[in-house]
Amino acid sequence: MKQIYEKITLLKKELSKTVIGQEEMINSLLIGLLCEGHILVEGAPGLAKTTTVNALSRAINLDAKRIQFTPDLLPSDILGIQIYNQKDHSFSIKKGPLFTNLLLADEINRAPAKVQSALLEAMQEKQVTIGDETLKVPAPFLVMATQNPIEQEGVYRLPEAQLDRFMMKVIVTHNREDEELEIMKKAATKSFDEISEVFSLHDLQDAQKALENIHIDKELERYIVQLILATREPQRFGLENLAREILFGVSPRATIDLYKASRAQAYLAGKTFVSPSDIVSVTHHVLRHRIILSYEARANHITHDAIISQIIQKVPVP
Amino acid sequence: MKQRLGSIVVTLLLFFLTTLYAKDFIYNMHIATKTPYTKEGILFTLDINQTNPDVVLLFDFDLLKHQDYLYQRVDMQETNKEDGLHIRYTYLIYPLKSGVVHIYFKLKKRVTSEDSVAYSFSGDRDNVKGLVTKDYNINLTPLTLEVKPLPKGTKLVGDFTLKTYLPKNRAKAYEPLPFHIAIRGKGYLPLLDSILPHDTNFTLYKEKPIVHTTSNRQGTQSEVKYTMALSHDQNFSLPEISIKAFNPKNQKTYTLHIPPKQFIISEGNITALIDDTNSPVLLIEDWRWISMLFSYLFVFFCGFISAFIFMKYNNKRVKKNFDPIKEKIKEAKSKKELLQILMSDEQKRFASSIKYLEDSLYADGKIGLKEIKKKALSLL
Repeated sequence: MKQIYEKITLLKKELSKTVIGQEEMINSLLIGLLCEGHILVEGAPGLAKTTTVNALSRAINLDAKRIQFTPDLLPSDILGIQIYNQKDHSFSIKKGPLFTNLLLADEINRAPAKVQSALLEAMQEKQVTIGDETLKVPAPFLVMATQNPIEQEGVYRLPEAQLDRFMMKVIVTHNREDEELEIMKKAATKSFDEISEVFSLHDLQDAQKALENIHIDKELERYIVQLILATREPQRFGLENLAREILFGVSPRATIDLYKASRAQAYLAGKTFVSPSDIVSVTHHVLRHRIILSYEARANHITHDAIISQIIQKVPVP
Repeated sequence: MKQRLGSIVVTLLLFFLTTLYAKDFIYNMHIATKTPYTKEGILFTLDINQTNPDVVLLFDFDLLKHQDYLYQRVDMQETNKEDGLHIRYTYLIYPLKSGVVHIYFKLKKRVTSEDSVAYSFSGDRDNVKGLVTKDYNINLTPLTLEVKPLPKGTKLVGDFTLKTYLPKNRAKAYEPLPFHIAIRGKGYLPLLDSILPHDTNFTLYKEKPIVHTTSNRQGTQSEVKYTMALSHDQNFSLPEISIKAFNPKNQKTYTLHIPPKQFIISEGNITALIDDTNSPVLLIEDWRWISMLFSYLFVFFCGFISAFIFMKYNNKRVKKNFDPIKEKIKEAKSKKELLQILMSDEQKRFASSIKYLEDSLYADGKIGLKEIKKKALSLL
């Protein structure tokens, strides 16, 4: 287990060769990879989203593809199509870019609902049906979808049911001053180091297995459930004001994802057990896209994160 | 019975009926009399009846302005039945000179269709659709009146009464004495240039007469109030004034009288009005400016204090809201409570303090609450 953890540390170090800063995004991507969950990233353009996915694919030697979602995109453009072969009068399948290990779905909210549904179905089922044939997507299969929070004109907002399929929603912010300076220097001198393979697919499978050995106390399991329940019945935890601000609490899928993400977080932190801080450090990411705010809350510019922080403050730590 | 029948016949004879035919409609003109007296109000009606029900007709009718007569529309009735449109215009006409007076008209026929009317109503407030019509000007022959002159010296035409109001007839020299005259009745507007004679030795102050008038089919009911004031430095008198009036209904002349008035003027103490001291000493010192100054200062002070208190309170509130976590860290009573507070920070600034706390709570780390608080506060 220690050996795998050391490799993960090496992987992080390797990624930092081309991705300066953005530890939250890298950490979330690794959690997604370990837990086989998909990540939704929200951030302004130019924050190294594509670079991160490419670097990760090269560091693990995984296949990576990028789809730029546009309003005229069709489901067949991402899933693949049946092609008629004139020679033998038969149909053959041409697989779409979805058949990859790491998929960057750039600006997912720019494509219409039918394309979003096609992708999200593949994310959930890990298989795609083209014509009569059902094809499995290669394992591991991780989708990192991005959303631009600035331009909201001509976008198709992801429905809540589809958002729920993302394990985590990470908000990427701009780099710190020192990080920005480093990026500037490296970009100007073209001195970004080459990424080499430091983590194999086999290591990934080992790491996924190692996660099962991460201990989580029963009290902490109850703590996770209480955090979830606090989004559904805030008044039970003395959060009467949240009852007006939350229209719908999170789904059971969030409970599962929070549990898995907490263990992965503890593992990435080099621990053999989950502590409350491991749970809390992923709570915002796991819950923020699943809480549906009331009109009143939105009118008062109350954010999901502010609500989650209030819940963390109120739900007693074991 | 014979007398009644006779009066009906006479009344009918007074109406001159003219029926004329035009395309799509016929019209009838009625005038009460064609030989009125000058300034006698005569009733004129025009009936328009649509004869072609296949088209939708609209009409614009009015009299043309002319110096020889005045007119006023007193009524317009419009009925739209299955057989077509029926309109009755009613006017009061006052000829202003004797002799032959021609009354001129303008009539416009506007032809449209049901569909066009429906379309014009289909627009909303922001999308007004005009009614499409085809317009025709109809030439109506002017109506000729033989206007009889008024008896010589007649100033008012109609049935009027006169009332005067003089509150007092004694005053001091140059003190104005108010005097009001009101003429009320039915007929041509009793508006006179001057009622009092011009060759008087007193000073006359007068205002623009106040006129109240209403017109209907029975005629024009009006009241004109003349407000004035008289002034003199010695006794004076106002002679009897007679205003000659003529009532065309009974064709009789009558006179409105303003009885003679005597005004007694006493001498006023003019010398007391003349100031013989330059810059006289003030009888009463006016200290109101001090209270005014203090009231302004008080209002300014209150405003300043209110703004100051508000800003201070607001700053305090903003300061408090700026980083509430600082206050919460200070107020935390246990390690678990502090752990919750530090973990809830969205900016994740307290990773090291959280580690210390977790070690202390769940492992064998030994660090006091105060020390961790201090470490956490130092990270802010």
